[in-house]
Amino acid sequence: MRSLLLFFALLWVTAVSAISTTGDRLLVVLDDVADKATYSKFLGDLESRGFKLSYETPKSESLSLFRLGERAYDHVILFPSRAKGLGPNLTPNVLLQFINANGNILLTLSSASSTPSSVISLLAEIDIQLPADRTGLVVDHFNYDAASAADKHDVLLLPPPSSIRADIKDFFGVGAGANEVLAFPRGVGATLGSGELLTPIVRAPATAYSYNPKEQAEVLDDVFAAGSQLALAAAFQARNSARFALVGSAEMLSDTWFDAEVKTVGGKAAKTYNREFAKRVSGWAFQEIGVLRVNWIEHHLNEVGATNESNPGIYRIKNDVTYTISLSEYSWSTWSAFSVPANDALQLEFSMLSPFHRLPLVLDPAHSNPEAAAYTASFKLPDQHGIFNFKVNYKRPFFTNLEEKNTVSVRHMAHDEWPRSYVISGAWPWIAGIFATVTGWLAFCALWMYSAPTDKKKVIKKTQ
Amino acid sequence: MAPKHRNNRDVTPSAATSTASPSVSGTAPGATTSAVPVAKPIKAPAAATASSKQDWNSVVTNLINHYQDATPQRTKLIDAFMAFLVVAGALQFLYCVLAGNYPFNAFLSGFSATVGQFVLCASLRIQTTEANKSDFPAVSPERAFADFVVCSLILHFFCVNFIN
Amino acid sequence: MSSGSWTSVHWSFQSLVWEGACFPAALQLRRATGNQRHKTSNAMRFSQSFASTALLFLAAGLAQAASFWGFDEGTVSVAAKKGSEGVKHKLSQRTPLSTPVALGTADSVKVVLTAKDNGKGKRPHQAFVVLKEQDSGLEAPFPLTVKESGKAVVQIAQKDLPVQFLLSEKPLKASVVIASFGSATGLNTPIFDIEVKTDPSAPLPAYEKPLRYGKQPEISHTFKSDPKNPPKVISLFFALAVLATVPALFIGWALLGANLNNLTKAVGAAPLSHPSFFGSIVAMEFVFFMYYTSWNLFQVLPVIGVVSVVTVLSGTRALGEVQSRRLAGEL
Repeated sequence: MRSLLLFFALLWVTAVSAISTTGDRLLVVLDDVADKATYSKFLGDLESRGFKLSYETPKSESLSLFRLGERAYDHVILFPSRAKGLGPNLTPNVLLQFINANGNILLTLSSASSTPSSVISLLAEIDIQLPADRTGLVVDHFNYDAASAADKHDVLLLPPPSSIRADIKDFFGVGAGANEVLAFPRGVGATLGSGELLTPIVRAPATAYSYNPKEQAEVLDDVFAAGSQLALAAAFQARNSARFALVGSAEMLSDTWFDAEVKTVGGKAAKTYNREFAKRVSGWAFQEIGVLRVNWIEHHLNEVGATNESNPGIYRIKNDVTYTISLSEYSWSTWSAFSVPANDALQLEFSMLSPFHRLPLVLDPAHSNPEAAAYTASFKLPDQHGIFNFKVNYKRPFFTNLEEKNTVSVRHMAHDEWPRSYVISGAWPWIAGIFATVTGWLAFCALWMYSAPTDKKKVIKKTQ
Repeated sequence: MAPKHRNNRDVTPSAATSTASPSVSGTAPGATTSAVPVAKPIKAPAAATASSKQDWNSVVTNLINHYQDATPQRTKLIDAFMAFLVVAGALQFLYCVLAGNYPFNAFLSGFSATVGQFVLCASLRIQTTEANKSDFPAVSPERAFADFVVCSLILHFFCVNFIN
Repeated sequence: MSSGSWTSVHWSFQSLVWEGACFPAALQLRRATGNQRHKTSNAMRFSQSFASTALLFLAAGLAQAASFWGFDEGTVSVAAKKGSEGVKHKLSQRTPLSTPVALGTADSVKVVLTAKDNGKGKRPHQAFVVLKEQDSGLEAPFPLTVKESGKAVVQIAQKDLPVQFLLSEKPLKASVVIASFGSATGLNTPIFDIEVKTDPSAPLPAYEKPLRYGKQPEISHTFKSDPKNPPKVISLFFALAVLATVPALFIGWALLGANLNNLTKAVGAAPLSHPSFFGSIVAMEFVFFMYYTSWNLFQVLPVIGVVSVVTVLSGTRALGEVQSRRLAGEL
């Protein structure tokens, strides 16, 4: 508990100093630093949100993600590179180490050049597959921008992303106007492995497919992936809550497509949602949204006449207890009360090896305020003694992982906590048995000592 | 409880059970003359089984008569107390069989109170019987009774403690 | 392209990918209400509206107004083995087949058609037969091998299907997607249904759902049931029966001639010892009773100590008196 407090104290210190909960040092890796003009709006947005940007090229000698064994940057954006590899400073191993050290990465791809092999290896490590030959282009002959790609159909117009599952909070598509579409120009689609750490952010429409423009320009003999299996933007959150976001088209983050006018196949004019989407994807990747914090955890005996001491180390079997956890969610610049998404549930497990109880925690308005929401559950401890954990294991796509364990002992009934025998009606005959024995015995003692023999003569005659 | 050392008044029940053994009376060294009529009717039906039922009746009445005549009154009081304990114990056991043994500790203490008391009574009876005097030369009936009281009190304490 | 290059392993792997995420999409399609409609894929709306307008235009015979993709001479047949021909059904791009096509374990479905751009045979870039599982919305595209003339063919064997399709309760929806670059409008229309027949004797392939973070089923510990008391009447009856043995004992003793005639003699001989001895025994039982009802062990033990001293001291005297009576032949 103390280490937890220390952790949150540290977290608080870092939170005060930066817009992101994990730091403000952002490294932008571009093939040519001059290219940053292409993304000036996107990078300017990041700067205005409080990040301190540094620019490097993959070939730069001075580029190092670590200094003296510590992370030199908190976040990295990798823009597409024409080079075959990313050089000795950005090997897949280094990038994975960066993630393991709680660094966040936003990776962008482009179909204009083949993807560097170290990026392919890095993606393979986290179970994201790119098309063969490092080259792929996503086209959709049904949903393209009629203004700019009437012939090539390689600028996809997508609806703003919505939550992929009913119980997942929508982080990326909220606030999109009715007439706004997401432009996905000349991008690469990827397929995601079946791991639970991966979540698609934007999936391709049903009629879209990926092909190799160099080899399959005329005849499409083999399809890498099509339809919703094709992820155009994807999220990966490691177990240490470090984040990795993949955006299939770097171009969609460029100034050209921010607030651009596009035309749907139907001929309707629409505005692009790209600027807000870029803000949200980068905000998610750099821990500005979807970050959860545990403020405090409290549990106590919930029985009439009990002392209700906080966080006792020991309980008795079948005790009624109440557990409360206070959670906050970081959203752009402030901590606010965390509200569990609809259709989802914050669950408390009471477990010894395996859970004996798994109960939903419900909002406790009495202990909540705008900055923190308290969730509580009251239940009866199982009739099993041993060492148990109050465990909240809240891992959801796009939210940082919460895993809180509080260990308590559950003891057996003490000898004087059982119901007395006279309370139990079944014991009455046996109580009566003892009573009868004792009464009979007392009377017998009196008789043995004070009874005068009536057969005196007989006995005397016989024995003497 | 070795039968051969027992007085004929006590030995009668065991003699009745071992019908085919007329020599039982002979094994009791301290047998008084009254032991002979006990053994005799046993021997007779062994020869003529036709009238065995009648003989059995006479054996039982003989037995009862002998018990009533030859047992000192104090011993009879002990016997009555022991019979009472048997009945009380049997009722508790029957209840346990019929209605279940919950709470089991209550059953154990209630039932063992009667059983324990029965055992203590039996000890008292053995030690105070006139005919066993030779076996307990150092134990006077009063000393036996004092032991009986102390042991009974300890037994009661345990039972009260255990029934909760 | 040949269906051989799509190994079933590859497919089942691919279809595992974010299969769980397909559920909301399918649900949203069915519930077209307010907010949900907003979430429904615009892409779907676009493509559907286009497919339907394309059909309308064709039906109205206004095909010459713009360029449209379509197909002709389409047939679907189910063959037990590759090469052999089964029953052929003619396909129409306007109305799907009314009866589902049955696909057995060793069978394969063969779709043959000629893709046409504005009525002329031509090779499109995209020519897929897309199979869709109706419950989950999971889709699997199978590209057709297209010749320059637009003649296209694909053969889909049951073993090529992802595992989830084999376990599907409803028939699979097969649709054809024909589209290409340029201005010609693509075609995306349902053509027939497939009913997957699995071998009833062989066990169904197991499908393990991928692990997804989400809420888990609730667990409530089932407590051992409290021990039950027998009916109170029975307990009461037996309690009274046990208690009734006490008066029975007294009556029995009375019949045997028990009495307390020696009491006066005894008290006269040892006026202090006898009352205190018997009194101490009774007191001891009373202490036990108090222990049972209210006292704890530490309150009880000192009292027991005091009472037992009285019992021992008075007991020796009292029993001495009893002995003297016995020796006097009065017992």
